[in-house]
Amino acid sequence: MRYLIISLLLLLSSCFKEPLYHSQSYVFGTLVDISIYGETDARARLLSNQVLADFQNLHNRLHAWQPIAAGQASELGQLNAAFAHGKPMLISPDLASMLVDATKLSVQSNGLFNPAIGHLIGTWGFQRDEFSAVNIDADKISALVKAQPSMSDIVLNGHAAYSNNPSVKLDLGGYAKGYALDLAAQYLRKAQVKNALINIGGNIIAIGQHGDQPWRVGIQHPRAPTAIATLDLPDGWAIGTSGDYQRYFMRDGQRYCHIIDPRSGYPAPHTQAVTVLVPPSVHAGVLSDVASKPIFIETAENRSKAAQIFAIDHFMVVDAQSTITVSKQLAKKLHWTDAHVKFATLP
Amino acid sequence: MKLTQIQTTAEDHRIAKLAAFAIALHLVEAVIPSPLPGVKPGIANIVTLYVLYQYGFATAAWVSILRVFASSLLLGQFLSPTFVLSLTGALLSLGMLWLAMRLPKKWFGPISLSVFAAFAHIAGQLIVVRLWLIPHVGVVYLVPVFALAALIFGMINGFITAKLLKHKSA
Amino acid sequence: MLNLRRYLKALNPKLMTPYLFVGDCLVLLASTLLVGYLFQTLWTNEHAAKVQIRLGDKIYASYSLNQQREIHIHGKLGDAVISIAQGKVRFAKSPCTMQYCVHQGWLSQAGQAAICLPNQISLELIGAAQPYDTLNY
Repeated sequence: MRYLIISLLLLLSSCFKEPLYHSQSYVFGTLVDISIYGETDARARLLSNQVLADFQNLHNRLHAWQPIAAGQASELGQLNAAFAHGKPMLISPDLASMLVDATKLSVQSNGLFNPAIGHLIGTWGFQRDEFSAVNIDADKISALVKAQPSMSDIVLNGHAAYSNNPSVKLDLGGYAKGYALDLAAQYLRKAQVKNALINIGGNIIAIGQHGDQPWRVGIQHPRAPTAIATLDLPDGWAIGTSGDYQRYFMRDGQRYCHIIDPRSGYPAPHTQAVTVLVPPSVHAGVLSDVASKPIFIETAENRSKAAQIFAIDHFMVVDAQSTITVSKQLAKKLHWTDAHVKFATLP
Repeated sequence: MKLTQIQTTAEDHRIAKLAAFAIALHLVEAVIPSPLPGVKPGIANIVTLYVLYQYGFATAAWVSILRVFASSLLLGQFLSPTFVLSLTGALLSLGMLWLAMRLPKKWFGPISLSVFAAFAHIAGQLIVVRLWLIPHVGVVYLVPVFALAALIFGMINGFITAKLLKHKSA
Repeated sequence: MLNLRRYLKALNPKLMTPYLFVGDCLVLLASTLLVGYLFQTLWTNEHAAKVQIRLGDKIYASYSLNQQREIHIHGKLGDAVISIAQGKVRFAKSPCTMQYCVHQGWLSQAGQAAICLPNQISLELIGAAQPYDTLNY
């Protein structure tokens, strides 16, 4: 009889099918999930396919290690090769503006956000689709840190870029997804889409709302296959999490995650996850991607200061001991999945 | 040939007559299709409740249990899951009536008793379903639906009983 | 038929009042509250009813969680095995190196998801009420 009730409920719900289009695709080496509300299925499909095509294009050009075709590196790959040889290279205008923006953010964060450490990331084995545990080469790591690759080493001259430091290797892994979010939001708004939710590998931006309710987002628990909390994501807001659970490997019982402290050259060991909620702006997507990194890398006493680098008021930290700390502003917005969860609130 | 004469009392006859009436109602209900299997008005309980008021708990218990056994035999459901569900429901609601009949008559009429009995009835059935028939947590989805049905039908049956009792006394 | 007519008549609240005592009103009120409470607590819990499996950008299939079943899917890398048992689902085997998807273990609540990025297979649990539209990770 339970089947009957369930099928009855399903039948009932199908009568009230809401105008929600939902698509998923694998781009940027991760899952892209687009929801569009209030458009016809046909138009929503067209728009979301266009967004996905734009993402794929961006991904091909910005890929840090994958060539477009055999023997032909991506635009970023070619630029990295030019940097290594100390040669200038003509780059496309949007890549140039990305580099200007990323440099500004990197300087602002005192180098805690540093897309120039591609060599370090590669050494840790994270520049592979199917990575595995690597042998830790302490000498190589300290040499790469000493070389001090920095975004300020890059000089833009019109459409030509070159690097004063051959150790600079760009990896936009902590920037491109956020950039793509802003791009997609801009595109959909231009196309008069009133309500959409874009999720690129966990970074999310909201347009409008889900019917008469705001879009609702679950925040992944860093150690359990469930949401730790949910919150409403209002129009224009973005949310991003840096976690040690998406890309990591275990070696001798220790976890090595893909978020590397540029100062030590080693993965930041004292954090499981940092979530930041970013108010509406043209850079909301980029900030949702970038702003969590300095908080993730910094030690407990410096986290609030790290959040202030990008004026982040809403953030949550789960440290290596699974202790949860939430800023006062974010605590007001969270609905905990476990009503008895223990957490500390920051003033 | 010697006929074994069974001594029957007036009480026995009354039980038999009332049980027959309850069985009839039970059978009528069994053939009426229900929008949700398991959700039934339980009109036979009107008889149980009426008997409880008129002749006391023992007679009501006899009528109720006889009704469950006889109906299941007539419907060919004896010892089937339906029978077990029916029996558990009947026993639990009798237990509930045994308790509820102690409530002050001034304030609690047949409607209260009927609602209590209906809740006990579905509680018993749901326990059997959960433990035996569908050992799955999904059964909890059914609880609110059945509770709502129990409330509505318990109320209506209680009302009908109250009306019948009034006719009798008038 | 007499009974049916009585039944319909009984639905009229005016007819009921002479038979309602103070206690009866309280019992009905308490019962109504109880039923409301049951609906609220038991129907908003997020046990999932089915799992939606995606392969690449297509929905591969949806399965009820109320069964014992092993599903073999050929993903981008190779064959993955997904187990369904007693209202739960998990990646049982996957050809990927890091085995994150397998380490996710059993999923049972609506909204829970396990994604195998290398093999491009994802599981998402669908329930009567989805607790959120998308997951931030």
